[in-house]
Amino acid sequence: MAKTHPAVSNGVAPRTAPDQPNAEPRLGEKERFMLLLIAPAGIVLVLFQIVPIIFGANASFRDWQLFNPAQTWVGLKHYLYILSDSTFLTVVLPNTFLLMFLSVTLSLIGGLALAHYLHRNFAGQWLMQTIILLPQMIAPVIGAMMMRWVFNDQFGVVAAFLDWVGFGPISWLAQRWPSFFIVIFTDVWIWTPWFALILLAGLRSLPREPFEAAQIDAAGAWRTFTHLTLPMLRPVIAVCVLIRSIDAFRTFDVVWILTGGGPARSTEVFSIYTYIETFVNLDFGRGSAAAIIGALIILAVAGAMYKVAGRVTDVSR
Amino acid sequence: MTALCTTRSDRPYCWTDALAPGGRRAFFWLATIAIVLLFLGPIVILVVTSLRPGWAVFYIYRGTDFTLQNYRDVLATEAVIHAFVNSFLVATLATIVSIGVTVSSGYMLSRFRGPIPRAWFGTIYVFRTVPYISWVLPLYLVCYHLGIYDTYAGILLPHIAVHICFFSWIMKGFFDGIDPSMEYAALVDGCTRWGAFLRVALPSAIPAIAALGILSWLYTWNEFLFALILTGHNTALITVTMAQFVTELGTAWNLMSAMAVMAMGPAIIITLFAQKYVVRGLRI
Amino acid sequence: MAQVVLEEVNKEYGSVRAVVDVNLTVADGEFVVLVGPSGCGKSTTLRMVAGLEEITRGLIRIGERVVNRLPPKDRDIAMVFQNYALYQHMTVYDNLAFGLRNRKVREADIKTEVMRAAAVLGIEQLLSRKPRELSGGQQQRVALGRCVVRHPQVFLFDEPLSNLDAKLRAQMRIELKRLRERVATTSIYVTHDQVEAMTLGDRVVVMLDGRIQQVATPLEIYNRPRNRFVAGFIGAPAMNFLSVELQNIDDHLHAVAENFRIRVPQDRVSELACQRARAVVLGVRPEHVLMGEPRPEHGTGFDANVEVTEQLGAELLVAVRAGGTTVLASRVDAEATLALHQPLRLSLDPRGLHFFDRESGEAIR
Repeated sequence: MAKTHPAVSNGVAPRTAPDQPNAEPRLGEKERFMLLLIAPAGIVLVLFQIVPIIFGANASFRDWQLFNPAQTWVGLKHYLYILSDSTFLTVVLPNTFLLMFLSVTLSLIGGLALAHYLHRNFAGQWLMQTIILLPQMIAPVIGAMMMRWVFNDQFGVVAAFLDWVGFGPISWLAQRWPSFFIVIFTDVWIWTPWFALILLAGLRSLPREPFEAAQIDAAGAWRTFTHLTLPMLRPVIAVCVLIRSIDAFRTFDVVWILTGGGPARSTEVFSIYTYIETFVNLDFGRGSAAAIIGALIILAVAGAMYKVAGRVTDVSR
Repeated sequence: MTALCTTRSDRPYCWTDALAPGGRRAFFWLATIAIVLLFLGPIVILVVTSLRPGWAVFYIYRGTDFTLQNYRDVLATEAVIHAFVNSFLVATLATIVSIGVTVSSGYMLSRFRGPIPRAWFGTIYVFRTVPYISWVLPLYLVCYHLGIYDTYAGILLPHIAVHICFFSWIMKGFFDGIDPSMEYAALVDGCTRWGAFLRVALPSAIPAIAALGILSWLYTWNEFLFALILTGHNTALITVTMAQFVTELGTAWNLMSAMAVMAMGPAIIITLFAQKYVVRGLRI
Repeated sequence: MAQVVLEEVNKEYGSVRAVVDVNLTVADGEFVVLVGPSGCGKSTTLRMVAGLEEITRGLIRIGERVVNRLPPKDRDIAMVFQNYALYQHMTVYDNLAFGLRNRKVREADIKTEVMRAAAVLGIEQLLSRKPRELSGGQQQRVALGRCVVRHPQVFLFDEPLSNLDAKLRAQMRIELKRLRERVATTSIYVTHDQVEAMTLGDRVVVMLDGRIQQVATPLEIYNRPRNRFVAGFIGAPAMNFLSVELQNIDDHLHAVAENFRIRVPQDRVSELACQRARAVVLGVRPEHVLMGEPRPEHGTGFDANVEVTEQLGAELLVAVRAGGTTVLASRVDAEATLALHQPLRLSLDPRGLHFFDRESGEAIR
């Protein structure tokens, strides 16, 4: 089964509990203790995650409208519908993966830059770290609203700036790609601090001497970065990218507030699509099917990424 | 030497050392200004907007009228007060309960090997990966049938479930870093496993628990999707109430921004005063 | 190759003075070892020569140039670190080539130099491996290779053998000496191990609390330590120190301890005669604590009991208790059979006496 991220623990290999003699019954004292430790959490998970998923899986095979109590079995009808829905295939999924890819990549680059910026002692470092942290700490909903206001095509700051510079107004939220740009911009704005913080910790944990040797070896800034810093940070970067990518797949708040999936459903991502099917089109069966499809997709993608990350971290050792 | 150029022994070689000193300083200031503009800018704009009277909101760069009327209006709205109280209650209760279950879950994952921990680890990992909407959606109907839709239980327990999945990692990572020898010594001395856990492991975990608590609280306070789906009028939360300001025709930006600034309050206070814990908790 | 000159070099961190008024000239081609306990400022001094630390006050010259303001890469130096500091994600070849590539040397020339350096250090087989596949000794050789490949004017070593186990350390010491024969370069070597200092250095610089205590050849440091610290630091087992009184007995100057006295040799009387205080510290190395009665003209012997013996194979180290509290160490023939608490008759070799001022610790000469 899944094993621990090597880079996740604080650089210390986890130790094992003392072994008990083999003559022990299966549900020994150790096992009872373990189960007791996770019992309350387990109950919550079962009741509020596992049961709903089973419920949802059940619903996905039925014709289930929210206003119509009849729940007739229709088999894979919903799944087939969604998997052949051109909106889903050509807009929603590409949007979702594009958001994943762009948001993670840009946040990573920004995070690396900020980590280097913070990685020196200067007066006011605490203040700058606070400022950098803020986007991550406020609610994504608030962040999205802020950006929506900033990019308001008549009264926002950006509009004022464009006017001052001489460009005409851009109606950001009326077209697909400008809207998508704002969505990505907001997501990057929110998550770059997270990358920055973790990469900063990574930078601080790097040994000093190879860098001094590189100084003596006349390595310039860029060469030091590409040949020393990046390879040494590879495990940390891999774990960050993995976690953040999985998170990015299920983005909802930001898109909902900024565009609601519009204009004309062109910036919908997976979570929005599912939500709309269920609570706007009131088709619970189809919405559940969409939810399950998405879950399976991300589980598969995550599994693949996890393997790649594992290989990168081991090789980098 | 100014504070910008500390002696090299204080920090490892930074790539900007390769630039000429003048260039390094210029670059640094440029970066600082860019960061302040980009990161603080939108927040400042929001605050300014909240201080402008309704009619002046659309000309916030010209004119100098500032007022606290927006805040008064917002605080006079019963729905808003209701939402703030609810959010506070839900966040606090969820955090208190979560801490209990998450700490023991993380401890178990750290200290034990075998099929049970592996199964638990797998379960948590799966539910950390699965999109929220995939299980919150059917949860909506489940709550409806159980009669806990739009009640505190109905919104608390899903949050606790997410806390467990997210924050067991942090606690596991933390316990991994604590030497288990102390607990073995306690066991040898006649302590039960529970005793060892409660009296030896937990006390050293207090900083991590503080970090955990702060992050859990903030996460629930800021959360939107669960609130949207699982709450109605009784347990309205601030994130949804704010969103309602926006989605209506003709957003009342001044009022909404006042509410948003207030909703940001805890986040800013925590960042200013509990940054150490936040930083520790955010590191995976 | 060039000489290295440190003039009045100081390093301060705020109010903490890590290196104080260091003056040192390392001659062209000389191998100088900085030795001293942790925190004595030796590494800091080395790093100032390398350019990894700012110089608070003073001048450092390499060759004819004052290098205070030069970055490390322009000082024409090479450095070997305690933790090897190899580039873990590059092959050994790339590790050696890195410095040359950064200086825009042609690949063909790089290849020649790398192969030559690898041959000197015997690491040709390892060129395509990565550092984590190598043993500690091999990694250190690669680190040495990095130095050799560029033909710099000065080699700097920062405790390079400290991470190796004892046996490997001894081997590497010999390798370093061989390397010196093949590539004779001005070198500054930092260590806390006095054995390394004595075996490797042309001259040894003993440091304490940021200041140089003595600069001399190994033998001179051993035989004529300038103060009590140097005397006790160099030489293992360490020198014995006794509190004695200088007294005139029978017209000769004697150093009188609790239960014995020793006649000060004639050639030393004049130095000690100037000594105002009569109470001084007498230092005697273990090999100068002899078994048996001394010759009558050398003074008297004394009784002692065996406390601890340590068998080394080549010799036997004995710690004895003489009188109330004095404990002395001695080296005797390994074949001697000594039982615990066995009474012995010991004496001090008059040629091995060192006298130190009781307050200042300075040697009385």
